[in-house]
Amino acid sequence: MNMARQNWSNTFAAHAALITYTLIALFPVFVILINSFKTRKAIFREPLALPGADSFSTIGYETVLKQGDFFLYFQNSLIVTVVSLFLVLLFGAMAAFALAEYRFKGNMLMGLYLALGIMIPIRIGTVAILQLMVASGLVNTLTALILVYTAQGLPLAVFILSEFMKQVSDDLKDAGRIDGLSEYRIFFVLVLPLVRPAMATVAVFNMIPIWNDLWFPLILAPAEETKTLTLGSQVFIGQFVTDWNAVLSALSMAILPVLVLYVIFSRQLIRGITSGAVK
Amino acid sequence: MGSLRLKNIHKSFGSVDVIKDVSLEVSDGEFIIFVGPSGCGKSTLLRIVAGLEDATSGTIEIDDKVVNAIPPSQRGIAMVFQSYALYPHLTVRDNMSLGLKQAKRPADEIRESVDMASNMLSLNEYLDRRPSELSGGQRQRVAIGRAIVRQPELFLFDEPLSNLDAALRVNTRLEIARLHRELNATMIYVTHDQTEAMTLADRIVVLHDGRVEQVGSPMELYNKPDNKFVAGFIGSPQMNFIDATEFGRKDAKTIGIRPEHITVSRESGDLKGNVSHIEHLGADTNLFLDCGSAGLISVRLQGEQDFEIGSSVYAIFDADRTYRFDENGQTIVNV
Amino acid sequence: MPDPIDKRPPRRWHIAVFLAPAVLVYSAIMIFPLFATLNLSLYTADGQNQVFAGLDNFRTLFGDPRWSESFWNAFKNNAWFFLIHMLVQNPLGVILAAILSHPALRFSAFYRTAIFIPTILSFVIVGFAWKLILSPVWGIAPDMLGAIGLKSLYAPWLGKEAYALTTLSLISVWQFVGIPMMLIYAALLSIPDEVLEAAECDGITGISAFWKIKLPLILPSIGIISILTFVANFNAFDLIYAAQGALAGPDFSTDILGTLLYRTFFGFQLQLGDPNMGSTIATAMFGIILIGVCIYLFGVQTRLRRYQF
Repeated sequence: MNMARQNWSNTFAAHAALITYTLIALFPVFVILINSFKTRKAIFREPLALPGADSFSTIGYETVLKQGDFFLYFQNSLIVTVVSLFLVLLFGAMAAFALAEYRFKGNMLMGLYLALGIMIPIRIGTVAILQLMVASGLVNTLTALILVYTAQGLPLAVFILSEFMKQVSDDLKDAGRIDGLSEYRIFFVLVLPLVRPAMATVAVFNMIPIWNDLWFPLILAPAEETKTLTLGSQVFIGQFVTDWNAVLSALSMAILPVLVLYVIFSRQLIRGITSGAVK
Repeated sequence: MGSLRLKNIHKSFGSVDVIKDVSLEVSDGEFIIFVGPSGCGKSTLLRIVAGLEDATSGTIEIDDKVVNAIPPSQRGIAMVFQSYALYPHLTVRDNMSLGLKQAKRPADEIRESVDMASNMLSLNEYLDRRPSELSGGQRQRVAIGRAIVRQPELFLFDEPLSNLDAALRVNTRLEIARLHRELNATMIYVTHDQTEAMTLADRIVVLHDGRVEQVGSPMELYNKPDNKFVAGFIGSPQMNFIDATEFGRKDAKTIGIRPEHITVSRESGDLKGNVSHIEHLGADTNLFLDCGSAGLISVRLQGEQDFEIGSSVYAIFDADRTYRFDENGQTIVNV
Repeated sequence: MPDPIDKRPPRRWHIAVFLAPAVLVYSAIMIFPLFATLNLSLYTADGQNQVFAGLDNFRTLFGDPRWSESFWNAFKNNAWFFLIHMLVQNPLGVILAAILSHPALRFSAFYRTAIFIPTILSFVIVGFAWKLILSPVWGIAPDMLGAIGLKSLYAPWLGKEAYALTTLSLISVWQFVGIPMMLIYAALLSIPDEVLEAAECDGITGISAFWKIKLPLILPSIGIISILTFVANFNAFDLIYAAQGALAGPDFSTDILGTLLYRTFFGFQLQLGDPNMGSTIATAMFGIILIGVCIYLFGVQTRLRRYQF
């Protein structure tokens, strides 16, 4: 160990602080998960105990699966998130390329116009968005949500991606032009693969807010068949508020898919956030 | 005061040994240069002296005091980094005075030191600028100034010139030589550039694979290399190495001869070869001879010389300037 | 082959093709509704027809005590919500990042991953989970306080007017502290090692290295985090709605602009929904966010230097 630089008491204090905060961060999730597998009595008698042989019960999950259509909600959330992310990345990358690559009249203005939405939340326009969706018959469709999330994600995507596209070597693109590639092929074949790390960052930034949003599903698509997982669990819990087994199980079922995905992708996610997209 | 003694320094990162049993004595006021190819451990050795790395074993003494467990700021050293490592948020003056402020020195003493250093380096007009408003050469001088202000026993330089362009490098080299004379301080300087090493050093330490290959004055290394590695590393173009059997000699494995110690003749000589390439440098001409099984031999001739590519010539070796190496690469000394 | 006489450059249609999808979706779903909403705040409904009313709606919002009281209540609560985030979330994020970025620290990847977990959970989960934990019915919170001898401190925080908003703000801090932590962590990692080593040679280590070297260098990141926090806080809605419902109880003590907008627009219980007043509140929120962003862009950001290393 580094004698001249290391300080044991500091190291100890650092770990103590981090462990304390980690416990605070994980405790609520832990409590919800363990109690969802217990009988009603055990939940109240010993809330902090792990489920044992006599306290184990899946009654809550049975209620949830009987009463709520959680698989449908999950599927809706998945469709909305995946399609929105795809559109944000595709449209965002195309616009970012146009802004980063070509000099044309109004380039600056177009960049500023698209950047407006970074700071102004789309929720401000909710009243007119609802009217628009009513007029076009898109209320209570997943399309409405996908359109809104695409519009919401585009400004930051264009901003981040154009910064990265400016770093792609001009020589590479010019070599492609001399080889006779069209501008479209230069974009899809040469540039897109090089900005993949930035695309991952953009995807990460958009994924969590889309998946977790409650506002737009509540306003634009509250029908039973278009409920997202977030809205579905909110409504379910509201109805079964006195059935603690059901509430805890519903919460666990909302936590688990996200937690599993997070554990699998946490490394990419954290690398995306720390990759310096927001300098 | 500023002597340094390294005793049996050993350093490993995990299972990789980067410094293997290095011992060295540096006396007060000496200019010592660590030189070697990249990855030889020269920067690590410097960082061990600074206290930024710990030695795995061995002791470091500065002024006869063991400093292994003393933090960098109390070792009486100052370091100039390759990337300058200036504090980007501070002005030139604050960059130079931060260390003294931290040591709670009186304000007028700090101002005096900074003014002294900035005079010495002609930085007076830049004192209120930030590093981002300076050119590369100016930043380099600020980095050196920051070291001078601390009035250290020992100056440590980690490849300080490698981020400068060629012209600036020569100027800064002269400046560092002047500073060494004026400050009369001990300096330890790491570089991979043998020209810097030859021009600046009192003594050069040649490192290779974490070991000291040879320590000596520049001319000692040039004239009396201990082994094939040092012989090849010092001097440009590189020394020619020819298998001794080419000359039917049994008293060595390899024969070495520097390009500048070879002349050529069209009639006769030690080795016959075809001219494969010529480099005209103005003052010198480098000639490359394809000598068949003896390999490619480089020859450095004075002045402008012309040869036809493909023509055959003889190389004549200066017999007093040939070196013999055994199968381990060690120099065989003539008795 | 291009006609040699025709000196005009060819029309570059591909630029339009690249821009069109993003510009169309963004304009139609974001910019147009934004201005339509601002416009709608200038009308009132007269039966089926929209009648231009000038600034009448704003007069009602700020002048009619029934409206102005709820608006200023929501605004005040929102400001407190933001203040708690600035005072707790961001300093906590900086401290955690500073500890995590220490190069010799082991298990830092584990800590980062764990501390970020609440951020990935939805407001619904967070709201209900804390509601259950703090509930006097279940008794986890009083029992835990009891275990360290502080049971007397317990109160049903979410049910008390005096504590509910602060409690919810702290829950939101708990959820989102991972974001400033990550951004500051990234900023700290981008400081070159040699600069910190130079500081070490100057005797600046530990806490003083943080104050004198690291903090000045991450100030721009702290500025960005502050404005992101501001924008997010002033259009927050989900957590309050999930934990306290649209009425933002008890007795509107946790009402913020987002929940007020929701109730006004959709109506709740006896109150009918009113798109025009909803738009008026949305316009007021727009103004508040715009003022905040302008203060940041022209007042703060220009003074924060960014450093190239």
